[in-house]
Amino acid sequence: MKKIDYKDKGSILNPLKNLQFFARKPITEKLEPRTASSTYRGFHINDLDKCIGCSSCQKICDNAAITMVEVPSIKEDAAKGIRNLRPAIDYGRCCWCALCVDICPTSAIELTQEYVHTCDGDDTDSYFVFPQEKGIHGLNFEKGWTKTKDSDLLDRQRRPMGEVKPDARINNFDEIVDGFTLKMAVEEASRCVDCGLCEDACPAHMHAPNYIRSIYEGNLEQAVEWMYETNPFSHVCGRVCTHICEDACALGRVDVDGKRNSQPIAIRWLKRFAMDNVSKTKIKQIAKKGKSRKRSGKSIAVIGAGPAGLTAAYDLAKKGHKVTVYESLPKAGGMTRYGIPNYRLPEDRLDQDIEVIQSVGVEIKYNVRVGTDISMKQLHKDNNAVIIAIGLQNGRSTRVPGSGHKNVVKAVDLLRMIPQGEDFNIPKSAVVIGGGNVAMDIARSLARLQKQKFNKVDITVSALESLETSFLADDDEVKESQEEGIIILDARGPKQCLVSDKGQLQGLETIKVLSIFDEQGRFAPKYDTSDIKTHSCEMVIEAIGQMTEVSILGAELIEKLDWNRGRLKIDKNGATSVNWLWSAGDMVGGPDVINAVADGHRVADDINKYLQ
Amino acid sequence: MNKQLIDYILNAVNDIKVTHKRERRIRVDVEADSLTTLLESLKGQASFLHLSAITCVDWIEENQFELIYHVWSYEEKCLVSVHTRINRDRAKFVSVYDLYKPADFFERDIYEMFGVFFIGSPRMEKFILTEWFGMPPMRKDFDSEAYVQETFNWTEYNPDWLQELTDQGGGIAIKPEDIRMAGQLHNMSTHRERESAKKDQVVGKGWKS
Amino acid sequence: MRPENYQAVQLGDSNEYEIFIGPNHPGIEGNYALKLLLDGDTVVKGTTDAGYLHRGFEKLMEGRLWIQNLAIVPRICVPDPAPMEVAYSLAVEEIMGIEAPIRAQWIRVLQLELSRIAAHLFTFGGHAATTGMYTPMYWGVADRDLVLDLFEDFTGGRVYSIYNIPGGVRRELPEGFLEKLSNLLDYLESRQDDYDNLLFTNQIFVQRAKGVGILSKEDALEYSVTGPNLRACGLDFDVRRDDPYLIYDQLEFDVPTQEHGDAWSRILVRRDELFQSIRILRQVITKLPSISGPIRTPIPNPLSWNVPAGEAYVRVESSKGELAYFVVSDGGDKPYRVHVRGPSMMHAVQTLEYLVTGARIEDVAQIMFSLDACPPEVDR
Repeated sequence: MKKIDYKDKGSILNPLKNLQFFARKPITEKLEPRTASSTYRGFHINDLDKCIGCSSCQKICDNAAITMVEVPSIKEDAAKGIRNLRPAIDYGRCCWCALCVDICPTSAIELTQEYVHTCDGDDTDSYFVFPQEKGIHGLNFEKGWTKTKDSDLLDRQRRPMGEVKPDARINNFDEIVDGFTLKMAVEEASRCVDCGLCEDACPAHMHAPNYIRSIYEGNLEQAVEWMYETNPFSHVCGRVCTHICEDACALGRVDVDGKRNSQPIAIRWLKRFAMDNVSKTKIKQIAKKGKSRKRSGKSIAVIGAGPAGLTAAYDLAKKGHKVTVYESLPKAGGMTRYGIPNYRLPEDRLDQDIEVIQSVGVEIKYNVRVGTDISMKQLHKDNNAVIIAIGLQNGRSTRVPGSGHKNVVKAVDLLRMIPQGEDFNIPKSAVVIGGGNVAMDIARSLARLQKQKFNKVDITVSALESLETSFLADDDEVKESQEEGIIILDARGPKQCLVSDKGQLQGLETIKVLSIFDEQGRFAPKYDTSDIKTHSCEMVIEAIGQMTEVSILGAELIEKLDWNRGRLKIDKNGATSVNWLWSAGDMVGGPDVINAVADGHRVADDINKYLQ
Repeated sequence: MNKQLIDYILNAVNDIKVTHKRERRIRVDVEADSLTTLLESLKGQASFLHLSAITCVDWIEENQFELIYHVWSYEEKCLVSVHTRINRDRAKFVSVYDLYKPADFFERDIYEMFGVFFIGSPRMEKFILTEWFGMPPMRKDFDSEAYVQETFNWTEYNPDWLQELTDQGGGIAIKPEDIRMAGQLHNMSTHRERESAKKDQVVGKGWKS
Repeated sequence: MRPENYQAVQLGDSNEYEIFIGPNHPGIEGNYALKLLLDGDTVVKGTTDAGYLHRGFEKLMEGRLWIQNLAIVPRICVPDPAPMEVAYSLAVEEIMGIEAPIRAQWIRVLQLELSRIAAHLFTFGGHAATTGMYTPMYWGVADRDLVLDLFEDFTGGRVYSIYNIPGGVRRELPEGFLEKLSNLLDYLESRQDDYDNLLFTNQIFVQRAKGVGILSKEDALEYSVTGPNLRACGLDFDVRRDDPYLIYDQLEFDVPTQEHGDAWSRILVRRDELFQSIRILRQVITKLPSISGPIRTPIPNPLSWNVPAGEAYVRVESSKGELAYFVVSDGGDKPYRVHVRGPSMMHAVQTLEYLVTGARIEDVAQIMFSLDACPPEVDR
């Protein structure tokens, strides 16, 4: 940097110095628009297939420039989390700050290098644009500002959920999951972008965005209020729900680098956290809100105290009807008590949900079997409406040779015995046929019983499906059961149960599966007859599916009703073809808790309308 | 920074609360009566000649205005922010114009934006908003977004693609002005919210029921 | 004030008359107005009239989430928007108690110094134009355009970079950027002789600018003048050196001063500052490749981001003077109060009125431009 010497130099030749400028290259600004840089924030493009309609861009736009429009030609899929809304941008308000690009969960919306647009006079309609793949003028400009890993504004990693270690948890039926602390729950809830895809995907349309927000604000009682608007089984769902909401979550999509590294919000664990941290008295108060003060004078009978039956009973009792629930087993809960093991759903939590339901005025009669202790006719006489929700209590059989042996049992029967403390011969070694969640449940329960009795786990699970492609059980269940010492043999089908001459069950023969379904998608497994293995065991357990025992309806009623391939036929509200009978739950849908709850609500609404 | 000198000056004032926030930043809370004497001693004894800013914060729930004087000393290289609270109704305070000339600008600005009258300030008149006759606009009870909704119209666009979508049965689903109400962001994108908004012609329920 | 509300006043028997300069006037920087009471050619009293650029930023910022404010913060000062973003980000970081990673701080310094060079090039042209020389204005704007090309390269926007975020910067520098920057700095240094010949040693300009708008050191301190205007009076104060932020304490640079405090000294200080900025940038170019690491400290999901209660007062040296942001948070997801203290609040109002008194009318425009007054900062 030179110091200035400004004293008058005055020379006649000074102006001639300027002749040097003829030799210089001038800075020229061309008239036509020049190419912008590679990170330029120009006009928008949107990949309409990647975009899921979550409207996060609309929420973060600081100038309120984005309008969500409904595009009927896009097919909605609530369970996968795809909505037919797409963003349209008002270029009179947009400032091209690219915050919408950086928050998009699927990196669908991006900015290009295009920057020129004019309109004729007052014709400003062209300033309201609907970005698609090709840009607003249909010219294919290069991409400008796109999302990078650094500029991504979302928090894509889930807060980890702690679990009891395998060697500690195999010794007992205590709950495995640690649960969130307040700090972790608030952090997890803060990741939510409040798109509502979870609410649309949930069969019962639980208000997940609202209760996640309440947990974020620390207001757990409000969160429970939001949950009880749609689901009186929130303790149960907070532990064992099939979380269709999490599969639809906007955060669970493909991350910036094209891989599926983004993890959905842990909605189920947040529900568990809120329910566990609000007192039972408070929950009963919340459940009672909105209960009708008048008695309607009508009465309804519900057969089966499972989630479907009890939810319908809860709704109807709150409307002022008299509801009686008939349960054949000693305690209420259905499959949630007699099917789901304690280490996934502790009994005291289930008891609490049922107690809250009872506190709004639902009466449950235990150890009453309809068809034996009381007939359907009697129920029809004494009540204005009857709901049958008995679930799927019979296990199916593989019917392979030897499966009639007394040591070849169904998983549902054993699972029903374990909570009742009933004794059965705990086998030293066992093989489970089946690859669904029920197979995992019985395998892990037996493993614990084996460890308690023999101090050694010897369970093998043999499933038709392959672990890489189509395994039916949850990934978590597979991982945890393998940690607990259970051996899973995939892509193997049962051939026969080997019985010795003396009539003792010796083992199970399995055969390698090549394919399960044929070209039309029908169940027609093909085997490789050269690959047969024998697994010696004391007990074989079949966990390949379940069905309902409908004989309780009585021959006359069975005759009158409409059936659909062995299942009771119902309309979209759960009504059967007989005008006083409704059905809900696993026996006509699902099969999981949240679908049962949704069914229960629909049936209750329908009955309520019918009774008015 | 001569910490002892500054501490000596600060400790001479009654009812003072001193917080050393980080290096070169000191926060001081005083009563409204002792503010001018403190500023005088800071200016005179520790050469806090530079008035950086005077800020006013409207604590509407506590019914108070907070006035903050940020002064900087070229010698001590330290910034002292002097906080004080005054009553919000009929708010007035004494001017520091005779100590710091720049106070003229800030006090006029606070008078215009918040309505605090400074006794002794040379120009208590409007400067920026000379043709505004409503409430001082920076106060928290002036809702500028509501004013905008009442006074101005949102542009209605009707381009061809929107006409096509509306003919097919789609069209505008969620307008941006509907999700922003009184400073809140409302969730309106679930089916339930959109249906109820269409039925009742009102905006969605929002976070709280 | 709207023209229909301006009342013409009959002043009685005197030589004085009042004229209204602005708001759209080549002698006024930005949209601003001056009411001058003149006696012949000499100004007796000057009153400023602001409000033409009032967008209500402080109120707007209270109604937007913390992250949404990033898009509107640069618009408070048009020629030199980078210090605004950096000051807001630093204030939020201070309240949250986090710090941007080292690499991000170096990149922020790069952005700030480039912005300072662009703003000074603009000012040379503006100041020269008030004395009737328009060529420096074309040169200044053309050279500034080359700087804006660099901004477009690494931030995505030419003027409003919207590049900073509390916690760091948004994007990594592109490949080959430091080389392009180095070439530009070489080019600017090669232009030094051209600018000196045309403007700084040009006798016409020297005669016009010397002795105009003299601000003594005592007056400067009294009016809280900061930045190049203060340094032109002889007081050596620079926020970068005396109240350091980012990594300025690791950089070597001089703080240039002059003694006379007139318009000529002020433009000389700006010229010297431009070359000091080039010096800082050269140090950044050498040091930056060896600094690795992330460019952002993670912040929570911006739609659910509650900054804990607290306040912060952050001062940054913009090309015009000391820029300060005072941010108050009450623990919510929006700022509770943001107070922007632009340097022009002092320069364009009280200092201008003081200097204009007694000046000749042809010098009024030059005084305003030499103070580098920026009306958007006054109005917000």
